[in-house]
Amino acid sequence: MREPPRLAERLVRWLVGGRDADAVAGDLRETFEARGGRPLWYWGQALSCAAVRVSGHRRVLPGLGQDFTHALRTIRRNPGYAVTAMLCLALALGVNTTFFALLDSLYFRQLPVHDAGRLLLVQRTANPFCFWREFQQVRDRLRTARAASTVMFSGEARMGARTYGVVAECVSGNFGDVLEPGISAGRWFASDSEMGAVLSYGFWKSKLNGDPGMIGREIMLERTALRVIGIGPPQFRGAFPPFASDLWIPTDALRSRGPAGPPVGVIARLAPGVSRQTFEAEVRVVDAELRADPRSARANDPAVVQPISGLLWRRGRRVLQPVVTLMSLLCAAVLLIACVNVANLLLSRAAVREREIAIRSALGASRWRLFRARLAESLLLAGGAAVLGVLAGETAGRALQAAMPSIPEQGFRGLAFGVDGRTVLFLIAASVLAAVLFTAASGSGRHARRGIYSAVQVCLSLTLLVGTGLLLRAMQHVEKTDPGFARERRLAVHLYGPPAALGMALDRARSMAGIEDATLARSLLGPDSGGCASVSAAGPARRTAMNTVEPNYFAMMRTPVVRGSGFTDAPGVLVNETMARAWWPGDDPIGKPLWTGCEAAGRSMAPVVGVVRDTTWALDPAPQPAYYLPRREAAGDQPFSLIVRTAGEPYEWSRPLVAALATVSPDLRVYEAESIADALRLAFWETRWRAALLGSIGVLAILLAAIGLYGVVTCSVAQRTREIGVRMAVGAQAGDVQWMFLGEALRVTAVGVAAGLALSAATVRLLRGFLYGLSPFDPVAFVGASLAWIAIAMLASWWPARRATRVDPLTALKWE
Amino acid sequence: MLGEFEQLVLVAVLRVGEDAYGVPIQREIEERAGRRVTVGALYATLDRLEGKRLLESWFADPTPQRGGRSKRYFRLTTAGEEALAESKAAYDRIWRGVRLKGGSRA
Repeated sequence: MREPPRLAERLVRWLVGGRDADAVAGDLRETFEARGGRPLWYWGQALSCAAVRVSGHRRVLPGLGQDFTHALRTIRRNPGYAVTAMLCLALALGVNTTFFALLDSLYFRQLPVHDAGRLLLVQRTANPFCFWREFQQVRDRLRTARAASTVMFSGEARMGARTYGVVAECVSGNFGDVLEPGISAGRWFASDSEMGAVLSYGFWKSKLNGDPGMIGREIMLERTALRVIGIGPPQFRGAFPPFASDLWIPTDALRSRGPAGPPVGVIARLAPGVSRQTFEAEVRVVDAELRADPRSARANDPAVVQPISGLLWRRGRRVLQPVVTLMSLLCAAVLLIACVNVANLLLSRAAVREREIAIRSALGASRWRLFRARLAESLLLAGGAAVLGVLAGETAGRALQAAMPSIPEQGFRGLAFGVDGRTVLFLIAASVLAAVLFTAASGSGRHARRGIYSAVQVCLSLTLLVGTGLLLRAMQHVEKTDPGFARERRLAVHLYGPPAALGMALDRARSMAGIEDATLARSLLGPDSGGCASVSAAGPARRTAMNTVEPNYFAMMRTPVVRGSGFTDAPGVLVNETMARAWWPGDDPIGKPLWTGCEAAGRSMAPVVGVVRDTTWALDPAPQPAYYLPRREAAGDQPFSLIVRTAGEPYEWSRPLVAALATVSPDLRVYEAESIADALRLAFWETRWRAALLGSIGVLAILLAAIGLYGVVTCSVAQRTREIGVRMAVGAQAGDVQWMFLGEALRVTAVGVAAGLALSAATVRLLRGFLYGLSPFDPVAFVGASLAWIAIAMLASWWPARRATRVDPLTALKWE
Repeated sequence: MLGEFEQLVLVAVLRVGEDAYGVPIQREIEERAGRRVTVGALYATLDRLEGKRLLESWFADPTPQRGGRSKRYFRLTTAGEEALAESKAAYDRIWRGVRLKGGSRA
């Protein structure tokens, strides 16, 4: 009798699947034999089974319930291993969930407003789109969309007797109509000129205790009286997440911002039926007029229309981009390590269960069926881990959110780490992926494979350790780097007020005992971005760093003037060495004219009178071109830092100085004092934050890998109990036996460390941007991490190895 | 009302009785209805009927015949018998009093 074609039979099995496949294949074989064995007929029948495959009434996986019941029983019988596996996975899933929530709020989350998909942001790469007065004209001309403007402002709000530091959004009168965020009480603004204020729900709830009588009350913001007209909806925290606004105020409430008003961001809602392309075309026309003056800094910076999702703050995106890339890799690595760990655990279980598997396959269970049984078990483990992971992620998210205010960009507190539907979906996907991964990886259990897995773990976690070490070293390196200005015995007080009041504050500080000298600077830690300059009257303004300072600033901060002179009574501007070299190559800048100011209207010309030594602003490894203007050029209310040189420990003067300054003028606002050294340290938050993130994930990875190694040695000890007994019986010493296992662990570690060093060398370039000039191949980090890992590995395997020496030879020989 | 092929399958299962697994059901339909039936179409319909709870099935223990592969047996449920009776009644109503030229049955 001829056999049915094998390939066709396989096809039948695959198409039908499950236990039915057996019955159908059996039927076919029977008929095939009865009809005399025509392969072509069999093939036709086999292909017809596709109908079974696509039939909607098919029980997708027959026996699924059985698989899960069996898995549940297995887990219940060995709760120890199940709990360990779940905890390992939960840690990794928790980290991934937290990170996904962060990623989601940074890049994808839309504004919580009506039909957020129709909202678009109009902005430029380096400059504001336009100024408030310009916006008012642009708004009336737009036909394809309704546009609203908003600009962030942080200041002080006084309500009754209390004063609050607030973040406000200064908006156009149609803000509520365009964004349609809804409102909890009251209403949004009726026009640009309405001097009202809408409180954010969060501010009203937390700072004002949800006082129902707030509407109609007066609020003083920067000497402007506003009346509360509404309270925003709970979910809407402002147009620029992650910044959370405390209140919304009309743009005209901001005074002393020059005739053009403040620069504003523009959000537009597409008119019904209008496509984004149509709107973009209209924006291009408007933009061409805004950029008509070639002397303006925005002349070469065309407007960009983009959908509103996630973090709109460009600098924030730029700063976070490399961190996010790094974190994605780290989270993937941790998940991988956890999967390997669980696979290892399953392997050790598989050794025990070889009998069960042998019996089941002898009874006719297919390989697929056995795999499914293991997958069911894995899915149960992953499911339990996912639940724990959500809890862990939520807790970690809260902890992160609580840790956020330590970052100077206070708006970060709005970053949502919460677990929402999308995060849960991600978590489910990650758990299933993990389950499939470690089920596949825990195939037939062989000891060699476990060694390889341990080595992989060591390799991955060593890479994380090297990265952490590098970041820590970079921090050390940065803190030792000379910023180019004096740090010791310098105390700064942040002030805000008109020029006259600032001058009075300066005199008051100089007259105090123990204060040797005082100066004023717009930017505390050397020149900051925000300047524009041009070497010709008609040329476009280029963005550079700048600072506005008192004439004695250079002497007091020990930033010497290397050529020419400092500020005198004559008009003049100073430039740093980098700018002198880059802007007047091979030429002497002294006496050359420089036009400063970003907008054509506000430009002024002064000759360069001196060249100042470079300072490195905060963490830029290479100094940027920068110019200095004398403070007398500054008009209107301005933020300035008063810097004093004290006779001793600077903080001893902080309280008397702040108290003395507070009485200088009612127009002067006095904020807290901090030493320059502390301010510098605070500026390192990015580095410290990164090191802390990487470090905590690194510790997690090491912990997981150490558990893995421990498991391998323990299992090895258990499997070789008899052998140990024999060896001890023939005279092996405890040390020999112990070394047998330590040596094995050491071999695994050595392979892992070698691979880890290679992987580190290949991947450290990712960190290059975070190292501030430190070589990515810093030997201290590499050697330190390797030694640390070897020590950890020895510790993790010494414990179970010691247990091996306690084996009583007689018991061991009687075993089995 | 049941589809034509569904009726054929249900009647075949009923006719074959005790021994109603794939092969005899298929043979029954092929002989009675005089048409070819592929195993795929048959099992898809059997699955559908089971999904509608008109049929129930169980696996018999594997036997040494046909390569040790188990058979899946089918039986009509009460709902299945009722559905079949209703279908037959409906057909009877439709055909009552109709005469076809050249038709062999009334």
